[in-house]
Amino acid sequence: MAEATKKDMPTETAENMVTLTINGRETTVPKGTTVLQAAKELGVHIPTFCWHPKLKPVGACRMCYVEVEKMPKLQVSCALEVMDGMVVHTDSDTVKQGRKAIIEFILLNHPLDCPTCDKGGECDLQNLTFAHGVDDSRFEFQKYRFVDEGMTTTFDDRRIGPEIILNRNRCILCYKCVRANKEAFGEYDLGVYERGSIAEINAAPGEQVDNPFSGNLVEICPVGALTNSDWRYKIRVWLTSTTPSICNYTSSGINTLFFKENHHNKIYRVTSRPSDDIDDGWLPDVTRYGYQIVNSPDRLTTPLVKKEGKQVEATWEEALEIIGKRFGEIKERLGGVCVGALVSPGLDNASLHAASRLMRVGFKSNNIDFRGDYRYLPESSESPFMRLCSRPFKIADIDDSDVIVTFGSDLIREHANEYLRIRKAFNFGNARIFAVNPYQTKSADVSSLELVYLPGTEESVVNGICLAAIEDNLVDAKRGEKFKLKTPTKSSAEAAKVSGVDRESLRTVAEALAEGKKITFFTGEIITRSRQRDLIASALINLHRLFGLKGRAQMSALARYANSKGAEKLGLLPNPRTVVVDKLRGLWGEYPESPARNTDAMMALIKKEEIKGFLILGSNPVMLYPDREFVKEGIEKLDFLVVADLFETETTELADVVLPLASWAEYEGYYVNLEGRTQKAARAVKPIGQAKPGYEIASLIGEALDPEMFQNEQQIHSEVRQLLELDSVIAYPDDFLEVKADTDGSQGDYNLPLYIIDDWHHSGHLTEKAPSLANFASEPYIEIPPQLASELKIAHGDSVRVESEVGKVILPARISEHTQNNVVLVPRNFSSSNVTSLLMRKKRVDRVKISKVDE
Amino acid sequence: MILTQESIQEIKEKTAKYPRKKSGILPALTVAYRQLGYVDDEIYHEISKVIKVPYVEIAEAATFYTMFPKKSRGKYLIQVCHNISCALLGADSLISYLEDKLGIKKGETTADNLFTLISVECLGSCSTAPMMQINHDFHENLTREKVDGILETLRSEA
Ligand code: SF4
Ligand code: FES
Ligand code: FES
Repeated sequence: MAEATKKDMPTETAENMVTLTINGRETTVPKGTTVLQAAKELGVHIPTFCWHPKLKPVGACRMCYVEVEKMPKLQVSCALEVMDGMVVHTDSDTVKQGRKAIIEFILLNHPLDCPTCDKGGECDLQNLTFAHGVDDSRFEFQKYRFVDEGMTTTFDDRRIGPEIILNRNRCILCYKCVRANKEAFGEYDLGVYERGSIAEINAAPGEQVDNPFSGNLVEICPVGALTNSDWRYKIRVWLTSTTPSICNYTSSGINTLFFKENHHNKIYRVTSRPSDDIDDGWLPDVTRYGYQIVNSPDRLTTPLVKKEGKQVEATWEEALEIIGKRFGEIKERLGGVCVGALVSPGLDNASLHAASRLMRVGFKSNNIDFRGDYRYLPESSESPFMRLCSRPFKIADIDDSDVIVTFGSDLIREHANEYLRIRKAFNFGNARIFAVNPYQTKSADVSSLELVYLPGTEESVVNGICLAAIEDNLVDAKRGEKFKLKTPTKSSAEAAKVSGVDRESLRTVAEALAEGKKITFFTGEIITRSRQRDLIASALINLHRLFGLKGRAQMSALARYANSKGAEKLGLLPNPRTVVVDKLRGLWGEYPESPARNTDAMMALIKKEEIKGFLILGSNPVMLYPDREFVKEGIEKLDFLVVADLFETETTELADVVLPLASWAEYEGYYVNLEGRTQKAARAVKPIGQAKPGYEIASLIGEALDPEMFQNEQQIHSEVRQLLELDSVIAYPDDFLEVKADTDGSQGDYNLPLYIIDDWHHSGHLTEKAPSLANFASEPYIEIPPQLASELKIAHGDSVRVESEVGKVILPARISEHTQNNVVLVPRNFSSSNVTSLLMRKKRVDRVKISKVDE
Repeated sequence: MILTQESIQEIKEKTAKYPRKKSGILPALTVAYRQLGYVDDEIYHEISKVIKVPYVEIAEAATFYTMFPKKSRGKYLIQVCHNISCALLGADSLISYLEDKLGIKKGETTADNLFTLISVECLGSCSTAPMMQINHDFHENLTREKVDGILETLRSEA
């Protein structure tokens, strides 16, 4: 469990401090601190059940009794604020007696079914009873029992969600689950009903506990009342050991702990490893259950090589020989520029760097990229968007920001951890929070104001905010004049008209930006994926300048994947920044002069048959890269394709050689989170079968090509370290940038904007292999706003035909809970859905038409 | 909608007085209860939409308070307190007496739909224990004779 740290405590200034005595020791802490926190600081342990470091105290269990001199009764220390001169005893006889009584009371109706309870060995109630309880009870009556239909009396196991099982008899009513759900996650699918001895925790009537943070409820339950199918009855906790790791599905670098068993070489679960700087100890479900792919029986365990049109199992030696020969031929015949590589931003630093070295030194080619699912890519590494990306960002700084703006981000689906952070600021602070998106999202529930703009009008929204500030004299007039020179948009009224956001709202944001002392402003995937992301970034850079945000704001485009930031810093782009290129040239003594191609350019050249050999490490472009047919047709034309992945995918299907890739749990790796913080994921288990980590694969391919190319691990690590040390912040230009609003041409009949998203419980192309996550969602769907659904007479579950100019798919309908305006959302995480076939490579906003399929 | 337009209007007026939406839950439930004589899941959903508070919060509050009967009950809801003070002064035997007298078990309703019998936690009238509440009225310092009299009066009024 997370420990309270100074950060969660009120700030220290002299007149704010209070001195008290705990067990004879004097201590001085800030006003507003609780006695429990003060004791913790001193290293004095007080037992608790209902207290949680990240939730408001409720004083429900009374286990944390302490004696305070001059106060008549025992006090609950978790809810008692310190006062000057207080004298506290945490271990007096009265306290001990009090605790005994509380344990006896809590156990009144408890079934004492420890032998069959999965929490045994890590149960707070078991432990605290042993430490502080009595072995007898004065309660001689029949215990109150919840009995589910068809169950015997002791077992009341009822599934209340795809993963969670509830046993009401074991529940001690600490309310931690319900509190965390409402307070920390903003979810309302769990409640506490009735009162007294029959009070019970349960799913909201008629609903399931299936929110994207629901796994945390199981982790914080102090007893065996909430368990999950992931871990339950698979192993006893004392048979496992732990390995620290980090999440591979989000860019926050959420700290986790693997519970594994060495003899079986198997991971059994993931829990939090609380870090106050990053995650506050909360895990999104995708982080918690996503580990299951490591154990999946579908994993690739040996290399496969294509013989007579069929992929058959082979040894590494055979595979490498073929790779060396075929890549060697292409290199010799056509030159290394006819070879390209796409690597996954989920790989660790060493793997990314080894791949970069393989391409640039081995093939003398600059055809390398890590962005396997973005259509529009900036050519230059110092483009406005890349500048925005490079800005420093601290997750923990969200907590005390007084203005928070999220722009173009379906927050929970792409930055769940940051959503929780913002929610905390919303609960505990008085920040002005704005969500600015092309459709309503759930983050509206933590926003003071939600701005919904028309899809594809991002720069007009930003210009509108700026112009409103100029018109209403909220910013320096001279700067305003300069701004206007570069912006064809005449007035905020005009911007309001184009973007569909009313002027009043634009002004409200402008006011906040003008007044804010500590501002957090970040953009998400809707901006990153936009064809006009450089234009939007230019508008944002202008805004930064106009409002004079320097020194009082962190403004950045957040990275999306576990190591996107690392890939950027290590130069896994076709055109890295000059400092990076210089460094690489220094390290390697050479650097290719050949033209550099990003993913999109490479895909085009593959189709034109100019790139003939291709290496893919951990990416699945056939599934994720927009315009599936385009990519597939191209890749089929390649002379030679090598793909390394954890599973057989749409992309490995087309490969000449398939290599089994080790997962992040199977080797030690370092990853750079969205803040630029490098963190280690230790090796928890041995790689499955003959799988190998990415850096080893890249090194072996290099060696097969040219024995001189051998890269040893130390060397890779030392080069990585030197690259990461380079300052990666790219300064903003000295003047306002040109920002001319851009619009898409009409798309005729197709006028319903479509956004491709990640499902609440998935991320990327691998998580569908995790059974627990598949329990939440395993099939694609189309999310339709209620208004539109009723117009088109579409009900939940109906089959819907979705057509764009280039493709057509049929998907079951889901009625959207949060989105009211006219857009539809489709998750990309299910290989059966084919959704990328709807996307066009050159459009700013994808548009479709939908209709109900008549049975 | 099960709630009538008048009820919805009343709920809106009542809840508008509170700075926090959640504070409107009990007044809203009271209005619904007065209209229907009971509340249930469907009503929670309707109230949730009217006062814009998550449905589960309404279910929680409604089930916490025994004053809100959860489904259609008899004309008279007899709530006998079985908590400490009342228990010490014979609540249990009072409940059995009522069960015999009405020919139903705790939690049931008489065939003529007149009486529903339940037992509840402390109703805050310990000094006059044992006690019960029938619809909106307290009946205190109970004895078997008193109970006989009360039931008779109610029957004759019905
Ligand atoms: S289910 Fe667990 S966390 Fe929830 S109230 Fe009961 S004991 Fe506490
Ligand atoms: S921990 Fe203090 S009352 Fe539960
Ligand atoms: S115990 Fe019956 S009214 Fe308090």
